[in-house]
Order: sequence, then structure tokens, then C-alpha cells
Amino acid sequence: MNKAWKGKLLRVDLTEGTCKVEALNEEWANDFIGGRGLGSKYFTEEVSPEVEPMSPENNLIMATGPLTGTYGAANGRYMVITKSPLTGTIACSNSGGYFPSELKYAGFDMIIFEGKSEHPVYLQIRDGKAELVGAVHLWGMSTNDTEDAILSEFHGDAKVASIGLAGEVGVHFAGIINDKHRAAGRSGVGMVMGSKNLKAVAVRGTGGVKIANPKAYREAALDTYATLKENPVTGEGLPALGTAVLVNVMNQNGGLPTRNAQSGTFEAAEDISGEALVSGELRRIKSCMGCIISCGRVTKITDPRYVGEGEGPEYETLWALGAACGISDMPAIIKANYYCNEYGMDPITLGSTIGCAMEMFEKGIISEEEIGMSLNFGDGDAMVKLTEMTGKGEGFGKKIGLGSYRLADSYGVPELSMSVKKLEFPAYDPRHVQGMGLGYATSNRGACHVRGYINSAETLGLPEKLDPEATEGKAGVLKVFQDYTAAIDSAGVCLFTTFAMGIPQLANFCNAANGTDLNDAGILEIGDRIYNLERMFNLKAGIDPSQDKLPKRMLEEPLPDGPSKGNVSKLPEMLPDYYEVRGWGSDGIPTEEKLQSLGLA
Amino acid sequence: MIKIQFFSLVRLLIKQEATEVPWVEGETVQSVLDKTQAQIATPFLHKLLNEEGVAHTGTIILVNRKNILHLNGLKTPIADDDVLAFFPPGAGG
Repeated sequence: MNKAWKGKLLRVDLTEGTCKVEALNEEWANDFIGGRGLGSKYFTEEVSPEVEPMSPENNLIMATGPLTGTYGAANGRYMVITKSPLTGTIACSNSGGYFPSELKYAGFDMIIFEGKSEHPVYLQIRDGKAELVGAVHLWGMSTNDTEDAILSEFHGDAKVASIGLAGEVGVHFAGIINDKHRAAGRSGVGMVMGSKNLKAVAVRGTGGVKIANPKAYREAALDTYATLKENPVTGEGLPALGTAVLVNVMNQNGGLPTRNAQSGTFEAAEDISGEALVSGELRRIKSCMGCIISCGRVTKITDPRYVGEGEGPEYETLWALGAACGISDMPAIIKANYYCNEYGMDPITLGSTIGCAMEMFEKGIISEEEIGMSLNFGDGDAMVKLTEMTGKGEGFGKKIGLGSYRLADSYGVPELSMSVKKLEFPAYDPRHVQGMGLGYATSNRGACHVRGYINSAETLGLPEKLDPEATEGKAGVLKVFQDYTAAIDSAGVCLFTTFAMGIPQLANFCNAANGTDLNDAGILEIGDRIYNLERMFNLKAGIDPSQDKLPKRMLEEPLPDGPSKGNVSKLPEMLPDYYEVRGWGSDGIPTEEKLQSLGLA
Repeated sequence: MIKIQFFSLVRLLIKQEATEVPWVEGETVQSVLDKTQAQIATPFLHKLLNEEGVAHTGTIILVNRKNILHLNGLKTPIADDDVLAFFPPGAGG
């Protein structure tokens, strides 16, 4: 029977300079779907949890899902799995664009990179064949220039994922950029790639993806197309305004962390909103491979201070480089976002770290002399300059490149880092959205919104409205969000489909594609399995349950403004419930029975 | 007066960020919606409410920054000088 998996993985030994093709472990593929789940299964089987992230013994896996490269929803994602140098947890960063599908078309479900090359190299893949070639001439280049150079020397239709200078100089939140503007952004996966002297992966594939039941697949695809088109969020809101629509939403609701989360509303939110972007720098909208949502923003800056063209910013970027730094200067934010793509950096951690540094500067903890400039909240020019310095690993930018926790901790004020497990939290204040706080505390990669986006229910009312300030029942709802997300990621489908598409539709896709017989419970069980697999890796890596926490500010400093004024996070009320609904012990450790039930014992 | 703020697709549709409508005794969110629509030439209520007049899943209507779904829905009473914000369904992340 045909299956959407290609059935092959490419194992690249960078130390030896070899590429070998292996059969995909079909039993694992059934148990973990693909992508995040299957990549994590391979990673945890092959790499010790105690591995030093920057050592050759840490593997870097690029994994597609079975649905990657198919039509139907937004089926073009891949994930990068490794041990994070920023957090010490298992990392899985997810990106769309065209590179992921091309990898499938070239005949591979997954690439496992082992070891470390003596000199800079990049990987060329062309229809089932792969080789490592020298990249000394690319080292030091931006991701844009790297991609252009590879297209010129390898194949004009190749798809490229690369690191920029940030991944080479050791920025702890360096990402991997594909198709110039799409990012496997979080957790520092680009720093690991740089440590291996691997500059890029270039793929050209002319094959397709075969599926088990074409008729059933077509029905599933048409059903989902209709769902996505008819839904006001995926059919109209995201295309028109992109993710940036959330700036005004979160600000009006009082959950937009501002000036390093010292407040929950930003008086200049309108200036950095999705609506402002539409009437200003937006030139056109853009889709990833096979996606009918089209949330991508193609933009151009006309401000004489910051010329440039590119893509973005997303909501998280507008918040991180905007409200988190008290900045209302849209051209500066867009320019810094372009730098993030070109140097290859995560704008969430970058913006949050600069915001943290701004607070430290204003409180006299860091001097102007040390930074090389003043660094007040609201100073867009300073933020852009510091972004460039960080990407290049220059001056005070080296300290920003450590992320906010290491920066603040080195000055004896770790409590000023708005992070969990050393990963900076995104654009939702946990004192307003209580479930998001629980999500930050329990996410397996640190504070993150795309591991269980319960804000969808708490603020946006999707699929139904929950009271953001309530705590009762949040643990159970969050678990469903987390498990469904793990399954969506693993299938290779964009998370944004879930604003419209339900679990039954994902099950239909997976079954038609692979000939499986999954129902809703089966999908969620796989998600639960993945979540527990990641959790166990982290526990063995020394990330114990005491790290399931939030910054002191969230727990002890009441929101000073907005409709949730006076609130703190009620994490201590929710965490025991969460452990219970997860089937873990009260100590936060998965029980033997739980692991056995998931086949993880 | 009651201050109305328009966001997202409604703002793009009517090309207007805000307006004000006079307050009268007994005002509710529903009456303010009707009054606001009557004042604006371009139809926009369909972005917020379905044909039965029920808010779409995902529509956000705030009264003084509180979501009406946690107040009394479209029947939520409105006082003079209240601020209402209208968001059609939207999401991101």
C-alpha cells in the first residue's frame, strides 16, 4: 500500500562527511505520526539527555510530517529537533514555506545530522542523492545571500534552509531560515547547526507524495478547503490582517505585556497594529506551499532611516520589538525584523531580551558605558542598532545574544527575565490569560504559545469562549490544546488550520494519507505520547518539575492596568490539576502506569 | 455620549476608526450596535453578528475592555461615557 511517508531518512555524518539512506522505522512512524513526534522519538533514542548541546554528540534532525507536501489544508511544515543550547530542553522548532515540501519531493521524510564538520559545509540533495560540499565561501553570509549563492551554484529551483551570522557567532536564539523569510525560530536550533559547521541544506526534488486512499484524501481535502474558506478567521481575517491583528485585540483585553511585562497595555498599540501595517508598509500577502490562508506579509519600508523590503512582521515580532520594549516606531520594528531573518534570530527572545536590558538600564543595573549607548524604553533606533550588534556578535550584542535569563542572571537579577526554562514568553500576559500561564509553565520547550494555544479560547473565543481570569478546568482544556498541537505538528500541518479545522478532519487526512484507522481519541493519544516523551527527556536532562514555574513578576506583581488590573497568575492553583489530568504524580513526574499506557515505559 | 472603536475587518470595511453615539436611558450593547450601524452608511454588522443577530463565534465586543460574553452578552447595559470596542473574529499567534 502507498503511504504518505517516503519511507526513507537521510543520515549525515558531518564528522566523516558521509550521507547514508536508511529505511524509516515504520512502527515508530505509526506511533508518533511523523515530524515533531517521530523526530523526537529518533532523537531521544539516539542522543543522551545529558548531552552538551554544542557538542558533536548532539544530533540535529530535520523532520517532515506525512502530510507535508500534500494538498488540502496548509500541509507544508517541517520541524527541527535537537537539544537546545538556550534552555537545555528538547527543542522542536517548526517552519513552513517551500523547503519542507521539497524535501519530501526529493524522497526523504527526515534528515539526521550527526557529528561536526571540520570546515563549513552545506548539504545538497537532489532527487534521492545527497552530498556535502564546501561552504567556506558562504560562511559569514546572510541567509538571503546564502540562498542566492546556492541557487546560482547548485540549482535555480532548489529550496534552501540556512543559518545566518547569528548561528555562526553563537547567538543562543539563532534560528534556521528557509525560503528567506520563514523560520524555525525558537530555542537556538540555528546555534546548534552553526556548531556543526553546517551552513545550509539545499534541496531539489521532482517526485511527489503518494497516498493510500486518493478518493478519501480528495474528500478530506475538499472538506477542509471549504472549512478554511468559510471560516471568518482563516478565510478572511488572517489573509487581510495577518497575525498582527492581535496587537489591538490583546491590548484592548489588557494582556499585551509591555516594557518587559511591567504592564499589560501599551498606550501606542495602534501604531504597531495590524491595521497600521495594512495602511502603511504592507505591499501584498503571501502563502506557504499549498496554503489558502495566506497569513504572510510582504512589506517595504519607505522611512528614509530604514530602507528595505522583506516579509513580516508577525504579531509576536510587533509585540517583542514593539510593546515589550515600549517602542511604537513601526519602521524600526520592521527593519529589526528583517535583520532577524537575515542574521537568523528569533525575534521573540531578541525583543524580550532587549526589553529586559532596557529595564536593567533604566534601573541603573547596566550603564550606558557598558552598552555603548543609552537604552531607554521606547528608543527604536537603539533597538535596531542592538539587533544588528547581536546578529554580528559585536559589543554588548554578545550579551543580548545569551538571551534574557543569562543576561539578567549575570547581573544578579534573574527575576527580570520574563522566561520559563530560559525561554522567553511570548505576547500574552499570564496575569490576564491564566491558562496561557499554565501553558508557559508546562511547555516542554519553555514559555511558548505554539505548544498549546489556549489563548484561542481565553481571549479569541475559538472554538468557544472561556473566562481568561478563571482557573477551574483550565488544566484539562490546556491538555487537549497541547496534545492536539503535538499531533498537528507531527502531521506536517500548520497550526493555524486549527482555528477552523477540528480533530476529526486531521484524523481523516492522516487515515486517507497513510491507510491508518485513527479516531479522535487516537490522535489525542499520540499527542499525549509525544508530550510525555518530551517530558521524560527533559526530566532526564535535569529539567525537574521545580522548573514548571513563572517569573516572580507574574506571581507577585499585580497587573497595574487594564481590565485585569490587580491580578497575578494563579499558577499554584492550576499546576496540581494539570499534573493530575496528565496522569502524572503530584510531583509532576509521569507515573510508570502512564508511561506504560503510552508505550513509553 | 458612548464612544465606539472599530477594529480589524470592520475598520477596513467602513474606513473609520471610531465614532460616538448619544446615550439614552436603557441602552444595551444591542441598541448601541443598531444605533451605530444606522449612523454609518456601509453595512458592517454582518461581520459581528449572524443572520439571526447572534454574535459569530470569535466576535469580540468589549465594554470598557470587558468582553460581553462574561457580562450579559448583547443585553449588557451601557452607561453614559462607556467605551465599546468591536472586533470581528480574528486570530494569529
